[in-house]
Amino acid sequence: MRRTLLFVAGGVLLAGIVHIVVIFLVPYFATRDAWSEIGHFGGDGKFHVLPLAEPGSEALPAMDPHILHAVCRFSLGEGPVRIRASLPDDFWSVALFDRRGRNLYSLNDRSAERSQLDLAVLTPVQMAQIRQNPPASLETSIVVELPINVGFVMLRVFVADDSELPNATAALSSADCAGTL
Amino acid sequence: MRLLLDLAIAIVIATGLGFFSAWYAIDRGFVFGRVTVSGWTAWPNAGSQSADPYSIAMLARTGEVPLGVGEGIAFTAEADRAGHPLSGRCDYRVRGQTPSGRLWTLTAYDEAGHLMSNAAHRQAFYSRELLRDADGSFGIAVSTTVKPGNWLPIAPADRFKLVLRLYDTPVTTGSQLAGLTMPEIVQERCG
Repeated sequence: MRRTLLFVAGGVLLAGIVHIVVIFLVPYFATRDAWSEIGHFGGDGKFHVLPLAEPGSEALPAMDPHILHAVCRFSLGEGPVRIRASLPDDFWSVALFDRRGRNLYSLNDRSAERSQLDLAVLTPVQMAQIRQNPPASLETSIVVELPINVGFVMLRVFVADDSELPNATAALSSADCAGTL
Repeated sequence: MRLLLDLAIAIVIATGLGFFSAWYAIDRGFVFGRVTVSGWTAWPNAGSQSADPYSIAMLARTGEVPLGVGEGIAFTAEADRAGHPLSGRCDYRVRGQTPSGRLWTLTAYDEAGHLMSNAAHRQAFYSRELLRDADGSFGIAVSTTVKPGNWLPIAPADRFKLVLRLYDTPVTTGSQLAGLTMPEIVQERCG
């Protein structure tokens, strides 16, 4: 009996390890994570404007129906990426995520202090290389150093009512996430 | 034989309890870094670089893209002030003040987190369209039937939840959240 109790205690201890392993592995086996869902909207390297969330048609879970979203999957494998957009005067924000949906960087229009979004996204290695001979575009961009190979960027624009929708849609449609420095 | 049986017990406990507790933690959102302020729950770390493994696992499962700390923060309420779950059969009033922020939206979702259709074709309220009282406080009627003033229509669902999103707000870290003044949800009538 005592031996069985010992095995039960061992089982509980092992359960703790299993618990931790499962938590860490879930993101690697998730098939409906943000990265995969965004892949359904179209090819990588360009922004896809998601329709405003309405009952029965929500592009991604838990979207704010007053926000127009645009998403883009990018890769830093072939060099730094420049993300540019000319956005409305009202509230907008931008957020960068890694492959597993971890938020690495975010910014809103007021902290950007302009309606032009211009981000230069580089890996630390690319940053070190570019520092030798910085291109002029680096002076005007907000430089974001991220230790990732691939990731995605989401743009959010506040839409008060339907009359602001064409303007916001046009702004997000012309956003670019495949620029080079 | 005894040894095999004991081993089997240990393995069943390890896998069963391990998987169940992991699923429970992720599915119910019982993760570290969950902050509850007067009935409103937020995961301030979910949208930051220091997001814990539970938050990352939860996001991977739902496919949700969280608000980054520089964008804003989302609070969810599933119960009224008295602790009763929000039900589409009742009328509620969301009243009081919100923390400082440039813009906020209040949105109703069903239990599964989807928007609910209603005759008024309206799922959310935002701060600028709000009619405020003289002292700056506000009240929003949350009801299936038409209400005068600020009205957020809902569907007669069994359960629903309210999400308050504060955009461009200085309060996005855990310690700042604790003392926040959040609006309260008061049940008015149940039919």
